[in-house]
Amino acid sequence: MNLSLCSKAGLAATILTLSSLLLPLSGTAAEGDFSAGAMVWSENCGRCHNIRDPLDLRDDDWKTAIFHMRLRAGLTGQEARDVLAFLVASNKPARKSIIAAKASTSSGSGKLDGQAIYNKTCIACHGGNGKGLLPGVPDFTDPKGRLSQNDEVLIKHITEGFQTPGSPMAMPAKGGNADLMAGDVRAVLAYIRKQFGN
Amino acid sequence: MKHPGRLTRHALAVAMALALPMTASADVGYNELKKTVQQLQKQLQQVQQILKQQEAKVKEFEENTVTRAEAKALEGEINAASEWKDPNLIFHIAGYADVGYVDGGNGGNNKDGSFRVGGFAPIIHAQYKDLILLQTELEFQLNDDGSTKVGLGYMNINWFANDYVALGAGKFLSPIGQFRQNLHPSWINKLPSAPPGFGHDGAAPIYEVGLQARGGFPIGSLRSNYAVYVGNGPTLKMELEDGAFGLDGIDAEGIGADADGEKVWGGRFGILPVAGLEIGISAATGKATATLNETTGSTLSNQQARDYDVLGFDGVWKYRSLMLRGEYIESEVGRATTGSTASAGAKWETWYTQASYLVPSTKFEGVLRYTDYDSPHKSKDQQQWTLGLNYLFASNVIGKLAYESNDGMNGKPSDDDRWLFQMAYGF
Repeated sequence: MNLSLCSKAGLAATILTLSSLLLPLSGTAAEGDFSAGAMVWSENCGRCHNIRDPLDLRDDDWKTAIFHMRLRAGLTGQEARDVLAFLVASNKPARKSIIAAKASTSSGSGKLDGQAIYNKTCIACHGGNGKGLLPGVPDFTDPKGRLSQNDEVLIKHITEGFQTPGSPMAMPAKGGNADLMAGDVRAVLAYIRKQFGN
Repeated sequence: MKHPGRLTRHALAVAMALALPMTASADVGYNELKKTVQQLQKQLQQVQQILKQQEAKVKEFEENTVTRAEAKALEGEINAASEWKDPNLIFHIAGYADVGYVDGGNGGNNKDGSFRVGGFAPIIHAQYKDLILLQTELEFQLNDDGSTKVGLGYMNINWFANDYVALGAGKFLSPIGQFRQNLHPSWINKLPSAPPGFGHDGAAPIYEVGLQARGGFPIGSLRSNYAVYVGNGPTLKMELEDGAFGLDGIDAEGIGADADGEKVWGGRFGILPVAGLEIGISAATGKATATLNETTGSTLSNQQARDYDVLGFDGVWKYRSLMLRGEYIESEVGRATTGSTASAGAKWETWYTQASYLVPSTKFEGVLRYTDYDSPHKSKDQQQWTLGLNYLFASNVIGKLAYESNDGMNGKPSDDDRWLFQMAYGF
């Protein structure tokens, strides 16, 4: 082994790292982004350990856990904020209050089309091809799979969250996106059926 | 009166003439009055109906509307909840623990099997805003004689300088390779045992005491991560055999005092070309000095600082339920030409490759690992196949059953095959 080479490499890496401290900070850090966080979460966390269920921890516990994981996994600050935004949005059990019930059963048509909702909320786990990116996530293209069930059942699962048998974690209510209205849920289901159904 | 009857008749006639139109007028008034009353009744019913509807609406409104007092009370609850959620200083406890059963190994002393407590490792985090994170892991282990060993796994204070750099100081997990820094906790490791060479006195450094910078940054559309450090480095253990000293092992578990004053530099760089794939390279270099005569247990001093170099490669690829990973690490110590322990150098080398597969729609996971560990001591050389079957009670609670087929020097623990069962819990 070339010792001087190693020494120089370590020294160079340290100097580069320390000099990055001199980079101007971006001022106010950007807020975490739900969709980006879902993607970072699904693409990174499972590389070392089983994916943890967002319901495992409450918001403040996730905050510290994510800062810990920022160190362990070498995430950027923005990636850490994105993952945190995803987790704190996804760890809410289906709400039972009158207001939430009204919102979830409202006939409101929502603002987004099904494809936009899928690409923002669902794609991180279900994948662009609908086959599922994570262990336990169902394959939408399977003719005898999840899409063989009727709309009423699937809308209930999307709205309230659902744990696939054998899966180590549950899909959060509305995929973690609490802003979705009943019309949005119907729209995304229609898109899923059109895109992946047989 | 001359014609009283006549007058009476005239008066009666006049009265009748007057009374006839009056009777007709009374009949008309009654009918109109009746009609009016009926209309009023109808209107009253309509009003009553409207009132009923309004009452229902008011009731619904009252049910779905909070009063000012209720809103204030709710605001108080939200503020109270926010106290838990958004303080400047957050304490958090995480960690892991495992228990199990081992049958075989340990030089034959365990051939009939023993229940084991693998360890209990609480991790405490104390975070100040988004700036500082103190993290420490304690290690509790139950010894064979029933006593308990307590150790400080790591303890470091980190400053998140910006989005790409976190500077830390203290005792930290060695960033060389992947297993020691990210995979060793029992709820993460997919088998009940560490690959040979990645445990104590192995080829892979475990802890370091010093300064470290860690983080990640994008390279175009690719992700990358890095860690660089400077630390005290390890110390060396010597053995006395046939009157001559030789290198026995490297103590790279985080040395609190630098015996030779020579620091060790090192780090790791990882890149993720595509999602699910990470490739890493690690290296460290510096000096290490003998401080312990392992044969007698006595300390050594004034020994010559030797060259110390580490090189490692690691990779992991995950596709849906399949995960493949591998890692290679070598630690090399140079020779010493002066001092009482002057002797030749030595090299420790190990690598493993592991495949795991979570059976779809089940909680069962199969694992296969092969490890080849070479040390300067033939009695410790080991080739190992490990086959495991896991059951995921939850993503952080795992039951593991594994069989180790070990090939080492005959009669040595490294040659004993083992059955292992472990329940691992990450919290």
